[in-house]
Amino acid sequence: MSEILQVQNATKTYMMGEIPVKALRGVSFSIKKGELVSVLGPSGSGKSTLLNLIGALDRPTDGTLIIDGTDISTLNDNQLAEKRKQVGFVFQFFNLISRLDAKANVELPLMISGISRSERKERVTDSLTKVGLAERMTHKSSELSGGERQRVAVARALVNRPAFLLMDEPTGNLDSKTAQEMMDLVVKLNEELQMTVIIVTHDQEVSARTPRTLRMRDGLIVSDEVN
Amino acid sequence: MKARDTLGYAFGAIRLRKLRSGLTTLGIVIGIAAIVALLSFTQGFQVAISGTFQEGLSTDVVTVSPGSGGFMGFGGESDFVFYENDTDIVETVDGVVISAATVSNTVTAEFELMDRMLSLTGVDFAAYEELYSTFTTELGEIPASPADGEAVIGYYLYDPWDNGTHLVELGDTINVYYSVRNGTVLEPVNLTISVVGIMEEIGSFGFGPSDTGMYITIDSALNYFDTEEVDSLAVKLESDDEDFIVAISEEIEELFLNEVSVTSATALLGTISSVLAIVELLLAGIGGISLLVAGIGIMNIMIVSLMERTREIGILKALGAKGKTVLAIFLAEASLIGLLGGIFGIGLGAFLANLFGGMMGGFGGMGGGGAPNGAESFMSITPVVTPILAIQALLFGIGVSVLFALWPAYRASKLMPVDALRSE
Ligand SMILES: Nc1ncnc2c1ncn2[C@@H]1O[C@H](COP(=O)(O)OP(=O)(O)O)[C@@H](O)[C@H]1O
Ligand SMILES: [Mg+2]
Repeated sequence: MSEILQVQNATKTYMMGEIPVKALRGVSFSIKKGELVSVLGPSGSGKSTLLNLIGALDRPTDGTLIIDGTDISTLNDNQLAEKRKQVGFVFQFFNLISRLDAKANVELPLMISGISRSERKERVTDSLTKVGLAERMTHKSSELSGGERQRVAVARALVNRPAFLLMDEPTGNLDSKTAQEMMDLVVKLNEELQMTVIIVTHDQEVSARTPRTLRMRDGLIVSDEVN
Repeated sequence: MKARDTLGYAFGAIRLRKLRSGLTTLGIVIGIAAIVALLSFTQGFQVAISGTFQEGLSTDVVTVSPGSGGFMGFGGESDFVFYENDTDIVETVDGVVISAATVSNTVTAEFELMDRMLSLTGVDFAAYEELYSTFTTELGEIPASPADGEAVIGYYLYDPWDNGTHLVELGDTINVYYSVRNGTVLEPVNLTISVVGIMEEIGSFGFGPSDTGMYITIDSALNYFDTEEVDSLAVKLESDDEDFIVAISEEIEELFLNEVSVTSATALLGTISSVLAIVELLLAGIGGISLLVAGIGIMNIMIVSLMERTREIGILKALGAKGKTVLAIFLAEASLIGLLGGIFGIGLGAFLANLFGGMMGGFGGMGGGGAPNGAESFMSITPVVTPILAIQALLFGIGVSVLFALWPAYRASKLMPVDALRSE
């Protein structure tokens, strides 16, 4: 299987005023198409920082990231924006736009991509059906439960038919039953649609359900194991 | 992102923040309304002024009156008087074509329907015709060798209500009188007038013949008013070039030992239009300041709104929106606000201008010299909101809001998604 993501010696240093904070200290790994991988580590270990780089939301301080065959350090801001359309990102706090209903939130990436209305409608319905939310399309995100919002966020991430799905603490804000259902959905997406998924979590139960786990600590990958 | 979707998205954002968008829009509304009201009002004012003065204005005629200095011959004190044959002296000046002495007084005319005060003026008909193109008849004619008491009258004396009910007909004979004090009683001095000519409607006031005036020969007038002195001399020059008028005017003043003043319609018109230009500039300035204030309000609200929505910008960018898409969304919001503000502003401005115009209408008729009731007033100001003014105002409203939104929106568009998303 081909490699969809290669990370080579990636570092990220934030500046807290004068003081540099090394969030990533040189991370290398690669991921193949169709994999379901979890990145497990305690809070502050640099997981979100890593996921942001993979999602092309930020640039590394040093090192190389090759996303779906393109080295992102060669891309300008506009090309980077274009790259983000190939990535489905599910944020830790969902990041839905609260004034829009579920349907409009899911439609947003398609609108940004300039896809026609009729096709948008079809794909939105399709995507919401995949996450089991077809019934709640016209609800404002403020009228949805945490689990439902998470599903809308997943539907939004899937709607652009991305090369892979990135999830930051997908169960962090859910009760254990809903978290369980979310993981069922993720496993199903991976198995049935061969969707490549990378999950960032501090929860052992979540990582237990993924075939491969990368363990992080203090900005470094300390182990890479197959469960 | 398609333009239609950008607009739709922007509109959704505006609709949600009704109060805030409303207040921003109000700033634009006030600014545009001020500009539209002021400009349409000045434009209406200008139309009224130039309509009043320019029509049939003999720009090559100057008026010489006794008294030195003072605006339009007022204010200068002098014992100097003119006599009828002073025209001969004026005509010795190079550049003078012809001149005519005028003498006028207010008299009461006894028409069949009513008595009316009017201004009775004595002039040399032949010279006056040459001086003023407006001194021409619609009915009857200006007699070449007029008999005593033959009069040419202004159109409004003939048809004051503009409805076919005539105050007097051609060929009618009427009595006019003025009163003199004789001991303790007032005695009327009568004159029998026969109407031999009715002038064409002039429709404005200025120098020379008036729609409400009555004209007899200078000799009849001097005789009737029992005087030797005339009021002023109307002098036609060879050219209406301003420098030429100034030069000749000075020469005439020197000729009469600076005891007279010369006024010209051209100079007066020049003064009026330059005053008007200053007024217009001032009013536009006030409007401009209101728009600047409105613009700063927009910028402020845009900055606040963009700060509040940094997270939204982060989301849009994380979903693949380019900087220019974000820019387009926020500029679309600003344009919509500008458009709305512009539309309401034009409406409000037109309303205000009409309100002012209506109030100013109270001064109407001042040029009519007491036109009969029902006659149109000369000086009514109808504010003019031309389509061009409306379009300009609209574009201006949109332009101002876009201009002031540009910087905050540009800043927002440059954010890296992670940085934008971190904000709460
Ligand atoms: N924008 C930032 N500026 C400064 N420090 C940051 C920033 N983002 C993250 N960090 C720091 O980098 C480290 C890693 O953070 P993060 O990737 O969010 O960890 P995790 O997601 O594993 O909890 C932390 O010490 C955090 O405080
Ligand atoms: Mg994190």
